[in-house]
Order: sequence, then structure tokens, then C-alpha cells
Amino acid sequence: MTTAQLLDPLARHRTDEVVVTTMSPTRAWGRLSDHDLDFASADSAMGHAADLALGIALARPDRIVICLNGDGSMLMSLGTLATIVGCGAANLVLFVLDNGVFEITGGQPVPAAPEIDYAALAEAVGFPRVFRFDEPRAYAQAVPDVLTVSGAGPTFVHARVEPGAEGPIERSESEAARYLRCSLAEWARSFRAVLGAERA
Amino acid sequence: METLRALMAEEVTHVVGLPDNTLGPLFDLLLGHETVTLVTVTREGEAFAVASGLWLGGASPLVAIQNTGLLEAGDSLRGTALRMAAPIPIIVSGRGYAKMRRAALTPDEDRTLDLLTRAEVDSAALLTEPTLDAWGVPYLHCDGEADPAAAIVETIRAARVHERPTAVVLARALT
Repeated sequence: MTTAQLLDPLARHRTDEVVVTTMSPTRAWGRLSDHDLDFASADSAMGHAADLALGIALARPDRIVICLNGDGSMLMSLGTLATIVGCGAANLVLFVLDNGVFEITGGQPVPAAPEIDYAALAEAVGFPRVFRFDEPRAYAQAVPDVLTVSGAGPTFVHARVEPGAEGPIERSESEAARYLRCSLAEWARSFRAVLGAERA
Repeated sequence: METLRALMAEEVTHVVGLPDNTLGPLFDLLLGHETVTLVTVTREGEAFAVASGLWLGGASPLVAIQNTGLLEAGDSLRGTALRMAAPIPIIVSGRGYAKMRRAALTPDEDRTLDLLTRAEVDSAALLTEPTLDAWGVPYLHCDGEADPAAAIVETIRAARVHERPTAVVLARALT
């Protein structure tokens, strides 16, 4: 499955969910989506997209929060899996796009790739809803189910994807995605305004 | 506990962090608390990301960690709360300050290798305030007879007024 085959069905089914991206999925998602509730954890803290998404989910239980994390980024903060389960954030859907490499630095292998079974890790930590995908057709059919969260607890999606060729992410006018053409602080302010957080 | 009453009066919605012996009594009180939600993380770097996400969603979080964890959490603090200009107050409990006082030292000492490796000195205390300075995080220092609850309130208000992460370094017990 390619990254585009993973993101296309998600973008088609997405309505008012918050989507947090980081590293190589950031630019790829920005080619498909121009939504006020996209949030790029890029040019940002290394390995902290999932915990950032958790915070949004805890503050806004009325919203589904989707995090498009990478395997290298997940490994940087594996303890976050326990924090997520400990918080029981049922409105959080955490994807790990497992391409086995640090894509934006040129494709160097991630430690222990491809042996790591991220879905098994999530199950061991206690995620009540865990999905595994490596085939695009089955994945595309399952997306509505993945996004139909219940009160059972957070959702984890382990998606094996082929390495792509995204380069380093910058915040600059040269980026196509609107959420990369301003500073993190500027986007944070507009994101909060759209969520109504400024009135909270 | 005065600290918890202060957090409630300032409408803090979440305390995010990891306990140490100074913060433990506060964490104990927050377990299952009705108005202030405790989010215990596995490593301090997570605390700044979770707190920043909470702020993005409209909550009013506070981070509570030990100074050793602060030193671990640098990139997370830099890349989330600081880059977002998020008004997040930070309680930093100060391991090693008692040893520093006994050795008649202050955070202003020259950080020589000899000093940083001395057995009777805990380098965490020597490095905390210079690190906050280097990272651009304003802070208060609360020591001795100073009222920790009042210092925490001052920190919360300063973070909100100046719209940036702001810390209080607690070199004494909470009340």
C-alpha cells in the first residue's frame, strides 16, 4: 500500500474530525486536504505528535481526533501508547504509517524494522480497538468502521506502507499546504479559533 | 492543600506531569478529582505535548514535573508550547537544591567540570535555572519561607498575561 492509498480514503470520509500530522505524512496529507482543523506537528517537537493529539482529544471529547504518525516518530515516544490508554481517550484514532524508514532524511532504516509489530504493541498496552492493514482495498472498505469510534477506548491503526520520497518539511511560502505556510503559533491561534477554544 | 485550592481558583482544568516526592501529595489529591483532571505521563517530554494539545482544544493545563524531567523534555517544550506561544504554567520541583544550599552554592556558579562532578553536589539543581534562561522560559524561584501556592498563582497569571510558557522552580515543599 502506498501512502496515497492510505490517505485518499481517509480524506474522502473525513468531515469535521481534527487531523494531526507529522513528518512525511504532513506534506502528503496537505496535497489532499485544506481543512481548518488540520494541524501539522511539523517543524516541531520530534516524536510528539501522538501526545499532542491526545491533548486535543482530552480537551474536546465532542470531536474525533485522528493522528497520522510515522513509525520512527512513534518509536521516539513509545510510552505515549501507555499514556493514551491510561487516559482512555475514546475519541482518538492513532495511525502509525509503518514504512520502515526515516523517509524525510533519505530513507535510512528505522531500528528493528520490519520486525516490529506495532499492532501487537498497541494490544499489549491495552488499546481496545486495533486494526492492521497492508492491502489498500481492504483498508479502503474498513475506513468508515475505523472512524466510527465507540466508548470502548482509543483506536490504533497499524498501516504498512511503502517508503515514499518526501523531503524535509519546512514552514515557508514554498509549501503547498496552507498549514505549512505560516508559523506554528499563527496556525495554533487560527486552529483554536475554529475550534471555539478562544471562548473557553 | 493550598496548592490545589489555588489551581481551582485559577480555573486550571488539567495537571499534566510525573510525580516526585515534592509533587506526590498533589498528585495523590488529584486522583479522581472532580474539577482538575490529572494526566500522568510516562516521560516529561510528553507533558508539554499533551498540555499544548489541551490548550489547542480550549483547556487550561498546568505542567508539574521534576527538574530532572525538565532537562529531558527540552525539545518537546521548545517544539510545542514555546513554538505555539501557549500560556502553559510549569511547576518544576527542584531536586538537589538542599544539597546546593549545604554546599553554599547557587545556580550562578561557573559550571566547571569539577563542580558538575562533585559527589556532594546534585548537578540537576545547578543546571535547572540556567537551562530555563537558555530556553527562553521566564521563571520564579520559590524557596525558604516563600509561599508556594502564591508563587504558583503568580506563575499561572504571568503565563496568561505574557502568552508564553512560564515556570516556577520549587526549592521547597508544597503546602
